Amino acid sequence: MLRFLIRRLLLLIPVVVGVATLTFMLMHMTPGDPARTYLGDRASPQALAALRHQWGLDQPLWRQYLAFMGGLATGNLGQSMFFHDSIVSLLAIRLPPTLLLMAIATLFSILISVPLAVWMALSRGGAVDTAVRSFNSVAQGTPLFFTGAVLIAVFSLKLHWFPVAGYGKTFGEHVVSLILPSIAVALVIIPFLIRGLRGALIDALNSEFVNFAKAKGLSRRAIWTHYALRNAAIPGISILGIQVGYLAGGSLVIENVFAIPGMGTFLMKGILNRDFPVVQASALIFALLVIFVYLLTDIAYGLFDPRVRVK
Amino acid sequence: MKTTRVTARLAGLAVGLALGVSALAVTRASAADTPQKGGDLIMLRAEQLRTLLPSQPTDNASIWPIEEVFNTLLVPKQDGSGVAPSLATSWEQSKDGLDWTFHLRHGVKFTNGQEMTSKDVKFSIEETSKPSSPFAFINAAITKVTTPDAYTVVIHTAKPFAPLPADMAIFANSIVPYDYAGMTPEAFSKKPIGTGPFMLKSWTPGVEATFERNPNYWDKGKPYLDSITFKVVADSNTRANEVQGGQAQIDEFPAFSSITALQNSGTAKIGTYASSRVDFLSINTQKKPFDNVDVRRAIASAVDKNTLVKVVLFGHGKPAGAYMSPSSWSHDPSITGYPYDLKAAKAFLAKSPVPDGFKATITVASGNSDQQTMAQIIQASLAKLGIKITIQTLDPSAAYDAKQNGNYDMGFSYDTTDIVDPDEIIRFTGSYDGGSHGLYSFYKNKEIDSWIAKAATLNDQDARQKIYFKVEKAWNEAQPLVPLFYTPELYAYASNVHDFHPFVTGNYNLADVWMSK
Repeated sequence: MLRFLIRRLLLLIPVVVGVATLTFMLMHMTPGDPARTYLGDRASPQALAALRHQWGLDQPLWRQYLAFMGGLATGNLGQSMFFHDSIVSLLAIRLPPTLLLMAIATLFSILISVPLAVWMALSRGGAVDTAVRSFNSVAQGTPLFFTGAVLIAVFSLKLHWFPVAGYGKTFGEHVVSLILPSIAVALVIIPFLIRGLRGALIDALNSEFVNFAKAKGLSRRAIWTHYALRNAAIPGISILGIQVGYLAGGSLVIENVFAIPGMGTFLMKGILNRDFPVVQASALIFALLVIFVYLLTDIAYGLFDPRVRVK
Repeated sequence: MKTTRVTARLAGLAVGLALGVSALAVTRASAADTPQKGGDLIMLRAEQLRTLLPSQPTDNASIWPIEEVFNTLLVPKQDGSGVAPSLATSWEQSKDGLDWTFHLRHGVKFTNGQEMTSKDVKFSIEETSKPSSPFAFINAAITKVTTPDAYTVVIHTAKPFAPLPADMAIFANSIVPYDYAGMTPEAFSKKPIGTGPFMLKSWTPGVEATFERNPNYWDKGKPYLDSITFKVVADSNTRANEVQGGQAQIDEFPAFSSITALQNSGTAKIGTYASSRVDFLSINTQKKPFDNVDVRRAIASAVDKNTLVKVVLFGHGKPAGAYMSPSSWSHDPSITGYPYDLKAAKAFLAKSPVPDGFKATITVASGNSDQQTMAQIIQASLAKLGIKITIQTLDPSAAYDAKQNGNYDMGFSYDTTDIVDPDEIIRFTGSYDGGSHGLYSFYKNKEIDSWIAKAATLNDQDARQKIYFKVEKAWNEAQPLVPLFYTPELYAYASNVHDFHPFVTGNYNLADVWMSK
């Protein structure tokens, strides 16, 4: 297990270098001058030159690249051009809301999908099965920002159960503020998860090992928990892992709708401002998040399935 | 287009109200309301505060909070007719017109307890005059600042310069303590020390900033509010929802499409204020066939400005004629631009080198649905002249870049102003050397340039106005850009907010604002 982890962590290095290089190239190839964007129309050539110098943009590109990679190696992500603040301290503000959002959304996805999938597998073709499957098609076809807007209109403006938007000041307020956006995000994941779990459960229930377990005279409960669910969990985890990876992208939309000061809005504004260090750091963080989720997925496989357990 | 903040203050409130918005209640405090102390006000804004160093910003998101923390020598007058005292109680121009003497208010203290004197004023003006300041141009006429005593400041100019008092009312010339009270400019921008009604309490970059009442503010009794918090909420629907839901009090720039819903909500009011903003269809006059005046006149005649006002501003604005805003005394109301008339447009085009039309692009900024809509309407009209338009969508920064480099055919721009004198904005949009090559039209007209330069040296406002009218007429003939509409400034705010009245130049004047209950 330890060797597996070390190998996976070492594999991170080429990924980080690749993502960093690609983002660096893309940002510098895109038209748009950060100094101009910052200073506006009236800036004198001297003011522009001074700012470009201050930001190191007057250096040759290869030198800027080396400086950036060198900083990365020592954990220095640089300074935001627009906020005059270190990227690390800005990330300390921006990362927690996104992580919390992803965690709560994952929790909601599991809490809603698993019981529903079990119920559907038990009553295949029944009313619940049909109802949830129709709901799935609708949920999948609804854009995230629309779901968010509907949730705000109903639960915040009409019923006043939740704040309209924002992130609050205390941890309790953070959690309450993130409930609606988490549900909106979970609604994107749930259809995939239910479909995958339901199919896997049905397959498992029809499998030889379940028949064998029945023949052995095991209780219905034992068959469900130890055989059917455990086997169905494996495709379920794959789907969840991939979807949570997409979640990173979804945060861009949902954080905007709910005015959450997270990574999504940070990256978006960084791109529009041509704030190179912000974009480079955010892209890296998102890449690391996705890799981390996939790593967790791999570890979870091992927990559920001894056949893939890493030695 | 970037927020282009220039200077010119305007005879405007009355005109602004006439911008076809009189139906919207400008809810000034109803009768017998006496201001109450207390309350924490939250204002939602689309953009984030970048710096609190007065000499640095070019964005309204930084400029307007700066005006709450710092004072200037003078401030724009409420009716837009000129400037009023602030840190300077009186001022006069010498006989030869070259020296301006300002007499400072006594006993004004910075929030660190230090008294504000002429030394601080000299330092502040010199900071903004440095070439590294994007607003150095505003002080370009100044040759020297002297301080005969602690309460007197003399500003010398090389030539008589009428706009100088107005330039002393711009945020960039805010008064900071000498040598930033010993701090570096970077440190000062995060822990500013001013004489204004509010002082910085906390600031989370890109998220929110809270300012609390300055208990020793020199204007006794003010401000009324305990604190103001500026929060960044990029999505206009979310801003409107938060005000409706009571989570915030003021929504800066509600979408025009949401005005009716907000008015009917019962919890929010809409304030409409005169603004200096003029929106244009930009034309790159360096490129063929746009270098031909008849082509530009044909385009101008094919733009249906009334429809644009209806569709984009939902009727909350007025089709534009002269390129100066009606909020300025330099605005010539007799200029009505080219009326929407396809026959006339065809006649203009027939006189041009491209009588049968041509192909061109309109560049729009992504995420800006107003520009997309306008481009489509103009595309349809121009098609009738045989001008085939392709709409090119670039992200805002790239679109801005294309415009600055003259790498575009047509696009959209607007200008606004920070000062109460028309000098800066009439140069900015009308003159090749005014800072943006005529708002990126790259239009050169030596006569216009020389008239504008002449007007700035005159002290008689009527004489200046005559020249400005002449400039606007000549510019109108040439149509280097097509003025589309005059846009009012809108805010949505909670019913318990009173006396919120931003100036034409944008200043929030939050010292006057109070909340009931």
